[in-house]
Amino acid sequence: MIVGDLKPLEEIVSAIKDFKQVLVLGCGSCVTVCLSGGEKEAKQLGRDLSQIRLYQGPPPKFVVGSILRQCEKDLVNEYQEIPSGTDAVLSLACGAGVQTLADAYEPLPVIPALNTTFLGASDKPGTWTEKCKGCGDCILIHTGGICPIARCAKSLFNGPCGGSKGGYCEVGQGTPCAWTQIVARLKKMDKLHCYEEIRTTKNWKPGGAAGVRRRVRTGLADSSNKSEPNKI
Amino acid sequence: MSYFRVNNNCNGCLACVENCPAAALDFVDQNNGRTLKHNMTKCARCGQCWRVCPQSAIEFQHLLVGEWDDVITLDLIHCRVCGEPLYSAAYLQKMESQLDSAGEALCPKHRQSDAASKLLHSKSGAK
Repeated sequence: MIVGDLKPLEEIVSAIKDFKQVLVLGCGSCVTVCLSGGEKEAKQLGRDLSQIRLYQGPPPKFVVGSILRQCEKDLVNEYQEIPSGTDAVLSLACGAGVQTLADAYEPLPVIPALNTTFLGASDKPGTWTEKCKGCGDCILIHTGGICPIARCAKSLFNGPCGGSKGGYCEVGQGTPCAWTQIVARLKKMDKLHCYEEIRTTKNWKPGGAAGVRRRVRTGLADSSNKSEPNKI
Repeated sequence: MSYFRVNNNCNGCLACVENCPAAALDFVDQNNGRTLKHNMTKCARCGQCWRVCPQSAIEFQHLLVGEWDDVITLDLIHCRVCGEPLYSAAYLQKMESQLDSAGEALCPKHRQSDAASKLLHSKSGAK
């Protein structure tokens, strides 16, 4: 899932202080599950931002809402109402959701309340770890299901660097060395020959180096019967 | 009532069933009738059914803002002093059978003050 972290309150306050009424909008998908941008967090942020001491002038009025997914423009256009008097939206979605709202509500300013941090998974309750960089050319079949691009600090392709000590990475913070984990996994799988194979230089074009990535599903892309108000 | 609802425009064309990426829609034809079926546990609420419906029959708002379902209603035991809800009657029964004694319905705060006053009484009694 997409993991995000709430920005510091001061940063949010400085972005919204000049508005009169702000819609604080949670997103009901990834950021709800990682407890950073769902309905509960939107309500809490609305309460936190209502403290008069945070502002030199009068604070904005806050209206709190939430929608299942902020990243689907047609659903947002159809089902998310902007309360009358709203002059800014504070979105608790990932960057994709914020941009979708900005497109849908143009020219209303849409302000991000979260920093979108990574694509990750929850290994244990309350902890999310980065697992995928969305490189567009998955190699997990060769690495025992452990991604060296996302989980090695240097994104190395052919084994660990000299900074791997006792199974941990030199970057510290208890970060396991991805290549130690890969070798251990391959050994368990009796597939150590995968480790012997030299991986050639990676083509980063599918990873975004060739510009914006877009996926068009033939048969569905042109099947929508809903109008697209902001279509360019 | 199903969260997936259609209005009277539905003509049973099955565009929604065929295009549901989560296989959450199905249908049964029986006795000259067609029943559209929806499985909430499979539904990703992606809106694809709503997008493709040629009749604009799908009322997707019911999948976005639903009503609350009652799950269970339990008899509660309350603190005999302040009335704070403590636990269910069934839990009390289970606890009493395991401890083989009658439980006293007290919240943590009043359990403490009750213990303190019992201690005081026992000390003054001893004098």
